[in-house]
Amino acid sequence: MPQMKRTPQDCPSRLPENTAVKQQQLPACRLQLSATGILSGFFATGVFCLGMGVILILSAKSSMEIEINYTKICASCAKLRENARNFDKECTCSIPFHLTQTMRGNVYMYYKLYGFYQNLHGYLLSRSNSQLLGTDVKDVETCAPFSKSHDGTPIAPCGAIANSLFNDTIILSYKLNSSVHIQVPMLRSGITWWTDKYIKFRNPSSSNLSSAFAGTTKPPSWPKPVYELDENDPGNNGFLNDDFIVWMRTAAFPTFKKLYRRLSRTQHFIEGLPAGNYSFNVSYNFPVTRFQGEKSVVLSTLTWSGGHSLFLGLAYTVTGAMTWLAAFSMMAVHLKLKGKRFSPDDKVKL
Amino acid sequence: MFCSEKKLLEVERKVKANDREYNEKFQYADNRIHTSKYNILTFLPINLFEQFQRVANAYFLFLLILQLIPEISSLTWFTTIVPLVLVITMTAVKDATDDCFRHKSDNQVNNRQSEVLIDGKLQNEKWMNVKVGDIIKLENNQFVAADLLLLSSSEPHGLCYIETAELDGETNLKVRHALAVTSELGADISRLAKFDGIVVCEAPNNKLDKFTGVLSWKDSKYPLNNEKIILRGCVLRNTSWCFGMVIFAGPDTKLMQNSGKTKFKRTSIDRLMNTLVLWIFGFLVCLGIILAIGNSIWEKQVGDQFRSFLFWKEGEKNSVFSGFLTFWSYIIILNTVVPISLYVSVEVIRLGHSYFINWDRKMYYSGKATPAEARTTTLNEELGQIEYVFSDKTGTLTQNIMTFKKCSINGRIYGEVQDDLGRKTDITKKKEPVDFSVNSQAERTFQFFDHNLMEAIKLGDPKVHEFLRLLALCHTVMSEENSAGQLIYQVQSPDEGALVTAARNFGFTFKSRTPETITIEELGTLVTYQLLAFLDFNNIRKRMSVIVRNPKGQIKLYSKGADTILFEKLHPSNEDLLTLTSDHLSEFAGEGLRTLAIAYRDLDDKYFKEWHKMLEDANTATDERDERIAGLYEEIERDLMLLGATAVEDKLQEGVIETVTSLSLANIKIWVLTGDKQETAINIGYACNMLTDDMNDVFIIAGNTAAEVREELRKAKENLFGQNRSFSNGHVVFEKKQQLELASVVEETITGDYALVINGHSLAHALESDVKNDLLELACMCKTVVCCRVTPLQKAQVVELVKKYRNAVTLAIGDGANDVSMIKSKRTLTQWGMLHTWSPRGAHIGVGISGQEGLQAVLASDYSFAQFRYLQRLLLVHGRWSYFRMCKFLCYFFYKNFAFTLVHFWFGFFCGFSAQTVYDQWFITLFNIVYTSLPVLAMGIFDQDVNDQNSMDYPQLYQPGQQNLLFNKRKFLICMAHGIYTSLALFFIPYGAFYNAAGEDGQHLADYQSFAVTMATSLVIVVSVQIALDTSYWTVVNHVFIWGSIATYFSILFTMHSNGIFAIFPNQFPFVGNARHSLTQKCIWLVILLTTVASVMPVVAFRFLKVDLFPTLSDQLRQRQKAQKKARPLHSRRPQTRRSSSRRSGYAFAHQEGYGELITSGKNMRAKNLPPTSGLEKTLYNSTSWIENLCKKTTDTVSSFSQDKTVKL
Repeated sequence: MPQMKRTPQDCPSRLPENTAVKQQQLPACRLQLSATGILSGFFATGVFCLGMGVILILSAKSSMEIEINYTKICASCAKLRENARNFDKECTCSIPFHLTQTMRGNVYMYYKLYGFYQNLHGYLLSRSNSQLLGTDVKDVETCAPFSKSHDGTPIAPCGAIANSLFNDTIILSYKLNSSVHIQVPMLRSGITWWTDKYIKFRNPSSSNLSSAFAGTTKPPSWPKPVYELDENDPGNNGFLNDDFIVWMRTAAFPTFKKLYRRLSRTQHFIEGLPAGNYSFNVSYNFPVTRFQGEKSVVLSTLTWSGGHSLFLGLAYTVTGAMTWLAAFSMMAVHLKLKGKRFSPDDKVKL
Repeated sequence: MFCSEKKLLEVERKVKANDREYNEKFQYADNRIHTSKYNILTFLPINLFEQFQRVANAYFLFLLILQLIPEISSLTWFTTIVPLVLVITMTAVKDATDDCFRHKSDNQVNNRQSEVLIDGKLQNEKWMNVKVGDIIKLENNQFVAADLLLLSSSEPHGLCYIETAELDGETNLKVRHALAVTSELGADISRLAKFDGIVVCEAPNNKLDKFTGVLSWKDSKYPLNNEKIILRGCVLRNTSWCFGMVIFAGPDTKLMQNSGKTKFKRTSIDRLMNTLVLWIFGFLVCLGIILAIGNSIWEKQVGDQFRSFLFWKEGEKNSVFSGFLTFWSYIIILNTVVPISLYVSVEVIRLGHSYFINWDRKMYYSGKATPAEARTTTLNEELGQIEYVFSDKTGTLTQNIMTFKKCSINGRIYGEVQDDLGRKTDITKKKEPVDFSVNSQAERTFQFFDHNLMEAIKLGDPKVHEFLRLLALCHTVMSEENSAGQLIYQVQSPDEGALVTAARNFGFTFKSRTPETITIEELGTLVTYQLLAFLDFNNIRKRMSVIVRNPKGQIKLYSKGADTILFEKLHPSNEDLLTLTSDHLSEFAGEGLRTLAIAYRDLDDKYFKEWHKMLEDANTATDERDERIAGLYEEIERDLMLLGATAVEDKLQEGVIETVTSLSLANIKIWVLTGDKQETAINIGYACNMLTDDMNDVFIIAGNTAAEVREELRKAKENLFGQNRSFSNGHVVFEKKQQLELASVVEETITGDYALVINGHSLAHALESDVKNDLLELACMCKTVVCCRVTPLQKAQVVELVKKYRNAVTLAIGDGANDVSMIKSKRTLTQWGMLHTWSPRGAHIGVGISGQEGLQAVLASDYSFAQFRYLQRLLLVHGRWSYFRMCKFLCYFFYKNFAFTLVHFWFGFFCGFSAQTVYDQWFITLFNIVYTSLPVLAMGIFDQDVNDQNSMDYPQLYQPGQQNLLFNKRKFLICMAHGIYTSLALFFIPYGAFYNAAGEDGQHLADYQSFAVTMATSLVIVVSVQIALDTSYWTVVNHVFIWGSIATYFSILFTMHSNGIFAIFPNQFPFVGNARHSLTQKCIWLVILLTTVASVMPVVAFRFLKVDLFPTLSDQLRQRQKAQKKARPLHSRRPQTRRSSSRRSGYAFAHQEGYGELITSGKNMRAKNLPPTSGLEKTLYNSTSWIENLCKKTTDTVSSFSQDKTVKL
């Protein structure tokens, strides 16, 4: 920028003010890290990282996780679903498995998808938050390409995310003995964020849910309209359906797992899941083979640090080790040079 | 800019005096000027158009347009428009205020009053209403309103004097004279009103020194030239009134024709930055292409099926086309690598640095109440990279005050101050000066510390009397009495002023002169000498003499001049005195004083008469007149009796020696470019330690022809290399080889100090293309270069030469109008409010010394301050800091944006290259302008590696700037690598952690929004930690900004993720509850912590090793400072060595030829002073020629050296 205004000639004193800012004399501490400071910092960081790494690994090891990929197991169902016209045909598939160890504590059931890109730019945008908030069910502006059906009726819930809702039903049953199978009690509540359930998603206000959605139509891939998602529990129906809300919280990566059910710790399952034979009964609706995707179901217990993931623990361990390595080599260099370095009394060579 | 509005090209101008109707049909421009660019209506369109001409703004506009295409848009519109609007508004506001000032000054100028002859009466009229053809009356010291044809004036012969400082920067008075026919009109209003001459002249143009036209009046034609024209912008001086006829008005005036478009200076960092931005664009395109190809492949292999699964209608789209769209989408996303805030921040930092310069009390000169001033705010960091300083002499290095210091009379030195033991001491305040109060005529300011001289005068030492008498008689000074009855000398060379004033104080007061007589007061008695002859000074004779007859009838020749010349003219009987005096002269010279030898001769009447007759013959002779006169002068100026010598001090500015020493320790080469004569220039070189007697050689190039100059240069070079070779015999071959290879290597191999002195004439030849390189090579190997007698144009040429061929950053410093050429090259806002633009020559940075002679240099300069010594602080402290800060700022800024932006690239591989951003759109919008701008600005403005005292004490600290070490392409690549590394850590650590993780409550963690928040938080923390490490000077501002930024980030984050704001704008803020949910998870904090450690630790280790292994000087200093808390600065100033008195002439006399003639003709004396004798007749006899002579001589001298100008003492 070109020129500054010239100070007026007539101002009484042109002597600049003697303030610390103007004279660049602001009191300040000079950040000058000493060798010992840096080295001890490195060692301390190293110790911390190593320690944290070990703790994380141990805690991750303490949790249990079982993952069963049922894409291939239920190949016939998968085949059926590849043709979109078969959407109304039911297909179930049972997957037996054996639990060698009791899963203690809270057990969570997840479904996991491989190769499903919930993070595509267009996909992510294709939703209407104001519709989901229940204020204006017909606000489908941002939902392209799933905003309106062919006859122009707005879709509720609109958008690609809602349309692709994961709609497999997974039921876990426990083989109490050779003849008795009991269904493991699972909770379908408490699997969403509080803010999602109570702030972000609201049903349109009306005496009757189906009338609230009057004038809208169901998404093209859905077998039934949104107000029939859970007809037993009005608190879990419509936009407030937990499974729907979980699905609408899009995943960051193409491989992801989403919470499906929590174990209700009653009867046989107070301790957790006892060891024994189980089976998943899947009503297979969600097609993945068409895009080379896979899906699996995961049972997992948790620790304070989250799930069964070893990555963080390993990363901390590696970082700690690297830090120590660096600290040792820096110390070596420093000590080697120390003799050559000037002592404070030396004159700086000029 | 203005002439473009003219509809027709004017070929010839025809103007009739006092006839507005006649002139109106030509539709000449009136005298109103516009320098403002906008008015209220045009401001917005023009300003926006101008702003979008800048590459950066245009680029962001382009991005904005891209974002409006829905297929491409990957970011919402506000991410680009918010910063862009911010920047555009800021610039627009600034432009508007600038233009307001221009409007004001236009108005002020347009509303100035001038007296115009309308309807036979003089009427006051605003400038803007003056029309072509009007007759204007001007009074003394008034500005000229338009380009005028001078008609008549108060002075005899229709003369008038003008100062053209506003136009060409010359402060000398110039003479203009009216045509004889018009000058007869005088001040007779009725006759002037009837004047109806028609001027036919050239069309408006910008040539300040040319005018051709014809005046037709009363059936006769009179040719007109530049001598008869007064241009707008001049000031009338020494002329009580004059009348002129308007020829060119307003935009047609030569002054306005000389103004044009503004050209801004750019710093080397600017240029580097532009290159880097281009590199980055290239890099961006590469990334875009990679991602676009990725997208095409992905679409083909995965996307097709995936999309059709979703019943996506676009499922059928061509994968190549999709790649193409993706390319543009990514260009938009990745544009933050070069954020628009970069340019704004750079400007803000520079502005801050400029204010620091303005505020610096240590650059405030209380003597003139002038603070330093950064007049340009865009060049600060270049002050830290200066390699060459081009300095003017007078007024810059010296104060342009001559004081009579010492003299040697008859073999005895007066003026030396001795302490009780008889040793020479420096003059201190304690010593009592000689009391001149008894002498009523004494000049108060004159001080002399040796009482012996006064005693010798009182004792009546005839030699001393004769010496002082000579000083009072032999000169060209004019005397005047001011209203208070005090004697005032008008001198044309300050040396003479000093000498005559000294004589005056010692009781030999020069009172008055006529062409025939000189009256002086000798110790109280008035004595009138008859001036018989005046043997004028010129540069070959290097002396001047007067021949006078004293009241006793004795004829005496008094002479003063260069010792080298005068000593040859002495009578043989002076042998002993000569040896003694020349010893004294050497001593004076050694002290840097300017010396003159003084001698006289008694003439007998007969001899003189014969000689005088011969002189008159010679004067009237037509052929070889000058040679004959010179011969006669030579003839009479011999057998002189030596009286002694004078020593005049050309007072240096305060602290010049220290500054020069310190700057040369900082490896800054100082070149002195002066209009002074060679002797004067060399003298001052010695006085301020640039030239020393211990120098191996001082090459003097003073050839008259191109061949001579070439030969001298060749010899000097040979000498240089020859001597150098003899120093290191063993390495001759090796060195020679090196010399052939690279000039810069040669520079390294030169041992010993050399200096080059070159004069203007030689320079003119040396600047010719074939010799140029020789000159440059030689000059750059010399420690000191002195160019003397250079014209303003040559000053600029020399600067240009170094700038162009050495590729070095240059600074020119000067005080006078003649320095404007080397200082300027950017617009100057004169008091006229007009934008002057000269050709874009001149140094990278111009510094003006303010408060000296006029304002021209200051107005043309980028920085100004009152004393040369402040240059040291400006460069070593402010310049160094600015450069240091700017480099740190840029490094960090590029790093930050690479780290910020490249995560999108990595994310591309996981989101099907669909141009999905990692962060929330709001975060992208705010990151650069809110979350991270202030800490880096604080660092860019306040950071200091070493304090100012140390910067001054260790000039070597300046060198990294000259070598461009702190920010260059290599550094940039390092920053880039650093940024890329950080972005990798930022992306892949959360990725790994999230891949298969679940939250504490079992809910899945890896949703897009949580990932975005985690990444954003890590990024803000990592870059804040990084800036905390980079900041080496933690002031309270830094604390506030760094902590404040983090706090701001979290508060904005929580606000944007709050329920309330979501309820109002559900579509704009979909991240509701995210911050609350994610940031309460331990696991997420562990990720953030790990990311921070992983991205910061390697940097710390790297820096530690660098400081340990290759400590820079400032590292050492800081370590030392730390070790000794109370660091006492090492005073590296070397003691001022007394130079051994070598036999070197100290002759340096700033004097011009031509004034002798002026005096003997009596032209410059007021009529009342002229005795009614034959002198007047002689005057009239000569009258035609002297004006031309004077004009010729003035222009001659002006063009060659405007340094030596008339000064009033």
